[in-house]
Amino acid sequence: MLKLRFHGRGGQGAKVASRITGTAAFLEGCHVQDFPLYGAERRGAPISAFTRISRGTIMERGVIPNPDITIVMDQTLLSDPQAEPLAGLKKNGVVFINTPDSPAQVKDEYNIDAQVVTLDITNIGLDMLGSPIISTLAGAVASRIVGIGEESLKNAVEKELSKIITDQKLIAKNIEAAIYCFRTLELLKIKTIQTTQRQDSVIRMPFEPAKISTPSINTTASSLLKRTGNWRLFKPFWDHDVCTKCMICVTRCPEGCISLNEQGFPVADYEHCKGCMICAEECPKKGIKAVRESGSDSVEVMGT
Amino acid sequence: MKKEMLTGNTAAAWGVRLAEIDYIPAFPITPQTEIIETLSGWISEGAMDARFVTMDSEHSMVAAAGAASATGVRVFTATSSQGLMYGFEMLYTVAGWRVPLVMINVSRGLSSPITLGPDHNDILAARDSGFLQIHCENCQEVLDSVLMAYRLAEDERVLLPVFVNLDGFYLSFTREPVEIPDMDEVRRFLPSYKPEHAFFNANRPMAQGVAVLGGAYYSYFKYQMHLASQKALDVYKEICRDFEKEFGRKYDAIEEYRLEDAEYVLIMTNSFSTMGKAAVNRARDQGIKAGLLRLRLLRPFPEEDIRNAIREKKSVGVIDQNISVGKGGILYSEVAGCLYNEKQRPFLISFIGGLGGKDISPQEFEFIFGQLIKGAGAEKVESPHLLYTQEEWEEMQKLKEIAGKE
Amino acid sequence: MSTEPIKSIKDLPLDENLFPGTPACAGCGGLLTLRHCLKMLGDKVVIVNAAGCFTLLSIYPFTPFKSSWLYTAMACAPAGAQGVRDALDILIEKGKLNPGDDLKVLVLTGDGAAYDMGLSSTSGAIYRNLDFYYICYDNEAYGNTGFQQSGATPFASRTKTTPIGKDFPKKDLFEIWNSHKPPYLATISPAYPVDLANKFKKAEQYKGPKLFISLTPCPPGWSTDPSHTFKLAKLAVDTGIWALKESVSGEVKHTFVPGKFKPVEEYLKEQGRFSHLFKPERKEETLGKIQEMVNEYWKQYGVLL
Repeated sequence: MLKLRFHGRGGQGAKVASRITGTAAFLEGCHVQDFPLYGAERRGAPISAFTRISRGTIMERGVIPNPDITIVMDQTLLSDPQAEPLAGLKKNGVVFINTPDSPAQVKDEYNIDAQVVTLDITNIGLDMLGSPIISTLAGAVASRIVGIGEESLKNAVEKELSKIITDQKLIAKNIEAAIYCFRTLELLKIKTIQTTQRQDSVIRMPFEPAKISTPSINTTASSLLKRTGNWRLFKPFWDHDVCTKCMICVTRCPEGCISLNEQGFPVADYEHCKGCMICAEECPKKGIKAVRESGSDSVEVMGT
Repeated sequence: MKKEMLTGNTAAAWGVRLAEIDYIPAFPITPQTEIIETLSGWISEGAMDARFVTMDSEHSMVAAAGAASATGVRVFTATSSQGLMYGFEMLYTVAGWRVPLVMINVSRGLSSPITLGPDHNDILAARDSGFLQIHCENCQEVLDSVLMAYRLAEDERVLLPVFVNLDGFYLSFTREPVEIPDMDEVRRFLPSYKPEHAFFNANRPMAQGVAVLGGAYYSYFKYQMHLASQKALDVYKEICRDFEKEFGRKYDAIEEYRLEDAEYVLIMTNSFSTMGKAAVNRARDQGIKAGLLRLRLLRPFPEEDIRNAIREKKSVGVIDQNISVGKGGILYSEVAGCLYNEKQRPFLISFIGGLGGKDISPQEFEFIFGQLIKGAGAEKVESPHLLYTQEEWEEMQKLKEIAGKE
Repeated sequence: MSTEPIKSIKDLPLDENLFPGTPACAGCGGLLTLRHCLKMLGDKVVIVNAAGCFTLLSIYPFTPFKSSWLYTAMACAPAGAQGVRDALDILIEKGKLNPGDDLKVLVLTGDGAAYDMGLSSTSGAIYRNLDFYYICYDNEAYGNTGFQQSGATPFASRTKTTPIGKDFPKKDLFEIWNSHKPPYLATISPAYPVDLANKFKKAEQYKGPKLFISLTPCPPGWSTDPSHTFKLAKLAVDTGIWALKESVSGEVKHTFVPGKFKPVEEYLKEQGRFSHLFKPERKEETLGKIQEMVNEYWKQYGVLL
């Protein structure tokens, strides 16, 4: 059995990617399971989806803690403690990373001890589909790594996309882009070894009084511990030379992430800014630029 | 202390009045309405220092009651049957907030068909909600149980809401002499409520009722409710001792009636137990070693007490005034469950009776004892037996004819 | 708070009472509304929340609020508010709470709860003259479950359960509430924060229900870019589709009338949920009908578009 875990951001299409891979394997005659894991977080938040592919009956359910293959649909997820896309990966497992960098660069930068495959599918998506929604492309990449045939992938993309979009031209473009990604990648040999086995024991839970065991919160603003800055694909970047301190960006930020520095210029809380870019859209001086996030410096504070 | 003729509903209202509650969000439903009418009357005439609000539904009523309890005042509310069902979502919610709301349910059969007479499908539907449940046999017990319920709910080892249950008509509208304790006695037994974890305070903000995502986290909170409910059994017994000391009336999680040397035992709850006790006496007169076990506390379920009371009996008949459609009597399953691992255990037979307030006649009790004697030691246990007579069947035929059921 | 009206965004309170780190979508119009409302209400508040997107603002052990919060259930947030308000009053009356530490009670619901399931408990709370605030963040569908039709979904909008567009108009919640003649009722928009702020300032004078409905763009539901949230909220007002108004004890007055109304098409064409009105071919009749509905609305108030 091959177990795949897809890591993406809400809205990027991890669920559809896992389904395309699942359907493609199904069309090859395999036993398959696929499913997404939903949390409270919305568009932009790290999410995961799973596909199990086997020649025999699958006797597993639920999340995959020890995948053979992990598909990282956004490079910034590698340094995201909420996502942990490499957690539990089997020895000799495969990591696909959506990045313009080479496998060697990424291996080095993130200290990855596994087979690494890279391709800048966001760029391919922007070029060939005109959007950074990369579900099809991630599905194509995963199918290739698993060793699924091109025809099955093509049929799977058509089948899955027809359920969610009606524009036939867009589906055709997606198939074209999928095949392009599929062919760009080399066929791999996967021989993984399960190494980590979590040691844990069952306990008897002790009683705690309601004062402690009520699901209520006695702190305030504890959400600040949630670093939603990692949701961003683009980061707002202020040009204080043109800024008139008009307060428009401050007023229009849904998160309340923009405050004023000592000189009265707006600065963003990049640890929490989700990158909605309302500030950039609304700036009357067009003094806020959208800079694409890349790599591990995603929460580095710039321009202060 | 004074003694008065009180209906079960008025006795309930007296319990609430003596508990010096602060707040009553209410909604009328038969056969409960007399409770809230009585209370609103007392509030209007100044006999009670409480606020009364008529809500727009039982769902809203339980929400308001729970929210007020979560803000730190002592709250009472009451309902019955369909009303309980309508507010059902909020029972689980309020229990999860771990607030000490006390609520009365006046039992009444559930629609459909819609009816007025009592049975226990309404209150037993709430058995998994986290509310504790005290079930009453007579009007005195209703008053006393309300006082005990607040002590129990507000104990910091418990902090779960409590239901006090009484049967519609058989208790709600039935008058009996009831001792009404004096306020100072009650105050000694039930001190005023000082919340330590339920409040909304400008200086100590709190988020209550928040989402808990992730099975391991959710399991913690849910299981802690279970542990608190189990802890409530010991707390309840302490309270019973204090209650006896203060008022001289003795209660326990179960009541054993002529049980010590009994061989054939009825298990019952609520007001019909009185008729069961009479049946025991008649059986004794005929030389049958009969006894009765009344379950007073249904949540937490007093398993150990039940085991100890009936482990060595020959046979036991559980009379369920409820029916889990497709399974049978609810209490039968629960009693059977707590006996399963016993090396010695009685023969256990299930009877369903009193649905929609149907009387259980002396002949039906005789039938039950006959079955218990016949069944003891038998190889096979028959499926639940609905208590229904030939005469009742024939009467039903006539109604069907009129209704055009050919 | 001074009663002097706020004149520009530079005069808005700088203090934040809603903090980042929430799971709300990037570009959430509801969150922007809430942020501004809480700036005006301060931090001595108990928020009573109905089921909806904002249920998930507080997930154990994280809360974005400086104030207290209580989640009830979908249908009964106003009933929960009744319990909290009454309990606070009782505590003050009985000397157990310092009146200076009293809290405002605020119901927070989406349109699903406000227009549909919670309508009866809201009506109950208004008619009982409960002293509370109520904010409905109206994104015109059941957003939390993935955008299905609600009573607030406008005519022709596509949702997951109206895949070819809804064939009847939105409920007029403002008028339903207004028929109860509450002391203060207003529509607001996150795109008009000064108008919003002044409405809260005005509402503060009244005891009893103080009700607000905000039209709040929802990027995933409306199929719009998160960066367009503000622009769309503004277009809704500037095309006349979302009228900014208030009512004091039933007397309705518009607080902003666009000098020149933009055609509704400008608002509709930006949104994926209305894209079927433009592609593959323009649905002139439907577009005309929507414009006509807007014209009719303003005509009742003597404003001709």
